[in-house]
Amino acid sequence: MNNETKKQTILGYLFLIPSLAVFAVFMFYPLLYTFYLSFFEWNMVKPVKKFVGLNNYIAVFRDPNTFKILGNTLAYILVLLVLNFVLPYILSFILSAVIRHGKSFYKAVFFLPSVISLVVGSILYTWILNPISGPVAIILGKFGIQMPFWSKTDGWVIAVLCIITTWKTFGYNFINILAGVSGVSQEVIEAARLDQVPMWKIFLDIIVPMSSATGIYVFITTIVQGLQYVFTPIKVITQGGPNYASSNLIYASYHEAFTLYRTGTSSAISILTMLLFIVLLLLEFKFVEKGVYYEN
Amino acid sequence: MNNIVFEHVVKAYGKNVIVNDLNMEIREGERLILLGPSGCGKSTTLRMIAGLEDITSGSLHMRGQVVNNVACGDRGVSMVFQNYALFPHMTVKNNIIYGLKAHKMEAAEINRRLEEVLEILQLKGLEDRKPKDLSGGQRQRVALARAVVKRSDYFLLDEPLSNLDAQLRLRARKELVKIHEMYRPTMVYVTHDQIEAMTVGQRVAIMYRGNMEMLDTPSHVYNMPASIFCARFIGSPSMNIISCQYENGNLSIGDQMIRLAPMWRPIADACPSGKYCVGIRPEHIVLSSRPTETSICGTVKYVEDYGNRYGVYIDVKGEKSELIAICNDSVPRPGENIFMNIDFRKLHLFDAQSEKSLGYPEEIRRLNAALDFSMPDAQNKNQKTGGKYHESFGQYQCV
Amino acid sequence: MKTNNHSEIGWHMILGAIVFLMLVPIVFALSNSFKTLQDAFNTIFEIIPSHPTLENYRHVFEKLPFVQITLNTFLIAASVTIFKTITSLFAAYSFVYFDYKGKQFFYFIMLSTMFIPFTVTMIPNYLMISKLGLRDCIWGVALPQFADVLGIFLLRQAMRGIPKALIEAARMEGIGSLKIMRDIILPLVRPSILTTGIIFFINSWNEYVWPVLILKSKENYTLSLALQMYISAEGGTEFTIAMAVSVITMIIPLALYLIFQRYIINTFAASGVKG
Repeated sequence: MNNETKKQTILGYLFLIPSLAVFAVFMFYPLLYTFYLSFFEWNMVKPVKKFVGLNNYIAVFRDPNTFKILGNTLAYILVLLVLNFVLPYILSFILSAVIRHGKSFYKAVFFLPSVISLVVGSILYTWILNPISGPVAIILGKFGIQMPFWSKTDGWVIAVLCIITTWKTFGYNFINILAGVSGVSQEVIEAARLDQVPMWKIFLDIIVPMSSATGIYVFITTIVQGLQYVFTPIKVITQGGPNYASSNLIYASYHEAFTLYRTGTSSAISILTMLLFIVLLLLEFKFVEKGVYYEN
Repeated sequence: MNNIVFEHVVKAYGKNVIVNDLNMEIREGERLILLGPSGCGKSTTLRMIAGLEDITSGSLHMRGQVVNNVACGDRGVSMVFQNYALFPHMTVKNNIIYGLKAHKMEAAEINRRLEEVLEILQLKGLEDRKPKDLSGGQRQRVALARAVVKRSDYFLLDEPLSNLDAQLRLRARKELVKIHEMYRPTMVYVTHDQIEAMTVGQRVAIMYRGNMEMLDTPSHVYNMPASIFCARFIGSPSMNIISCQYENGNLSIGDQMIRLAPMWRPIADACPSGKYCVGIRPEHIVLSSRPTETSICGTVKYVEDYGNRYGVYIDVKGEKSELIAICNDSVPRPGENIFMNIDFRKLHLFDAQSEKSLGYPEEIRRLNAALDFSMPDAQNKNQKTGGKYHESFGQYQCV
Repeated sequence: MKTNNHSEIGWHMILGAIVFLMLVPIVFALSNSFKTLQDAFNTIFEIIPSHPTLENYRHVFEKLPFVQITLNTFLIAASVTIFKTITSLFAAYSFVYFDYKGKQFFYFIMLSTMFIPFTVTMIPNYLMISKLGLRDCIWGVALPQFADVLGIFLLRQAMRGIPKALIEAARMEGIGSLKIMRDIILPLVRPSILTTGIIFFINSWNEYVWPVLILKSKENYTLSLALQMYISAEGGTEFTIAMAVSVITMIIPLALYLIFQRYIINTFAASGVKG
């Protein structure tokens, strides 16, 4: 190793160490510790942790509520994907191909709720969608429609919590996808138009494949971040209720740990959640990072 | 001695060899051009001198010392980058003196040098502009100023003119030579442009696929190329290279045979592989409608008009590739039969297998040496280099 | 490009509807925070209150140590922002401008933390904060937020946009890495640093999980926790006060966004994953 290489190595690590240290303390060590805890029965207070092997995992799968929660998680994923992935994809195509005026206005307004706390969002929507005295209920009432008590109704509760989360995350996803969609060469689109290809076909056959790197990235973050974002409205508005109808994997893990004080089950659930995300991560690296990594 | 010596220098990324066993000496105070097509390793060679690239093996000497492990900032080298690498957030003035200030040079000295380079490079009045407010030519001069102001012993330039248009390039070329003449640092200049190489360089190193093909004066590079690659790379249109047979002093091209001049015979006889290529530059083919003893016959295929002269494409019977000849007047018509007269003083012979030159007869060497007035005189380094440049500098003497 | 004007107008209407949906909650909060409770229920569709009142805001500052709560939120957000911006800057610089073994590996594992759900680190971090005696203390809320790859990612993308030759030119002058960072990199990535800092600040300002877990007493509350006191799924009697707290909570992020909107959007648009 010559001097230059040595210097680069030393300085490189020196600059990296502060970040690496915090990551080690607040990310990697906790990750290992949670994995460890998932094999023990404990309540955060008892002096002794009881080793139970895989029992926590078995208990999770034996619990009938788990399947309800898994079903909810899937429902959240589907609704969030429609609202936070499909919709912004189509709209960003519209904005880049059809709209000529007001682009930056739309971008700015769509992004605006992203900076507002989801607790604020939860409170505002609780009132706006209040089934008795909220403005939406009053308007619907004028048409003779009675608004469901959504926070107490299976199905509705997930839909509304997703809408609240979407209010916050839509803009961020939109900006990301728009960057990918705008990256598609105008010439390709123009060539297709000269051949009189209809717009929806241009979108599906040209835009989606050519912006797929961004697309997959947003697809995955919608799931990974979306499930975590939706935690806040769940915690603030429903606490997972009614009868687990709005709980998802993230909330369930929190609930086990800090309401029921069962660190073992909580850890088992969060490790399982992470496994789900790791599968997505592998997809991400397979499709997206390839381009980023070998660019230079 | 501010020279640079490469001893068996190799640069490789894994198995990918960029520079292969490079040996050369760059002499103190000379203008050496590294010339070659893109990817030939010329920029890497320059960056090794600068200290921006590690050396995989071999040793690089500067001032008589091995500098393999000397950091780039400590080599006393200044460099002009291809895209100038001006700091976009700094004014022209700060761009130029940033390095001096960082080394805590005395303010008065900084100012003196700044004034001087601003004057020389005609940047007066632009000191407080940002690079984005400058024209391409001005930016190039700021980059030059930033390198000059350091007064380094070594002056490296990486395709410094490639972003300029043709007219500016001509002017900048002269300016570069003028500045070199003022300070006489050891100058290494990378380019892929042969005109730049020929006009700026005192010696030209031609590189190809990581190997140095030839290192000599521009005149020799043109008149006595060391390989087929060098022969074709210098000159436009490229030299005609025709594979041929040689037997008993007779050279057969296509279905025709000419008698090789006696001075060439020992050289041709010494060809190791026994396979020959003959090279002749388009501008050295003399066309006539009548045959001579040393002419070959062909049919004109078509004629290109270059404005000031014509390129004539000629088919020779039995020879696959067509030949190009340059003529200034009396342009033949397509379809016409024509005779190409070969001047043996302007002939090149190559070994078709190794693609190396077979060498040149003593007579031609002497002739070319007499023509070559760009040869730096090793004994009289402090004198101006050669008459070729005096003429063009005339206008700068008053600066 | 020639497009059908009718379809463009149609799409403008759809986009306009989304704009409406995005802005309605904000307008709703602003408007009702200046109404009395009675007015609010009677004139819920009135955007500009006919009898504006500051009563709700006064109430908040009287009932709760609200200055302290705002200050707590600010202190947490500011310390998290400063710490993360500086460490991210160094890490990004290391990833972009130094060559050393293990670099790709460390970038990979740091980037992978985006895929670790917070529930995985929640219990151990909670225990760690408790052990440090930082429960019910604002620094206990700040600490677990220090590990965040977003800034490293954004700043790395920004630095990759700076031509390497600029750094080489400075190195040729014999200038050291820290000085290069100060004189060249920092000024050139200033917009991205600004955006990263603002995003850090806003995210921390809005942080909910850690305050909920760590903070107990009202004088240590952050705005998120103060807000939580005014929620109940069926509504309640403190509707307009809740709106006032909401307005106070969102006013700073909104102001930051409105001032630096162009920077923020450009940074995210430019950092996008482009295959």
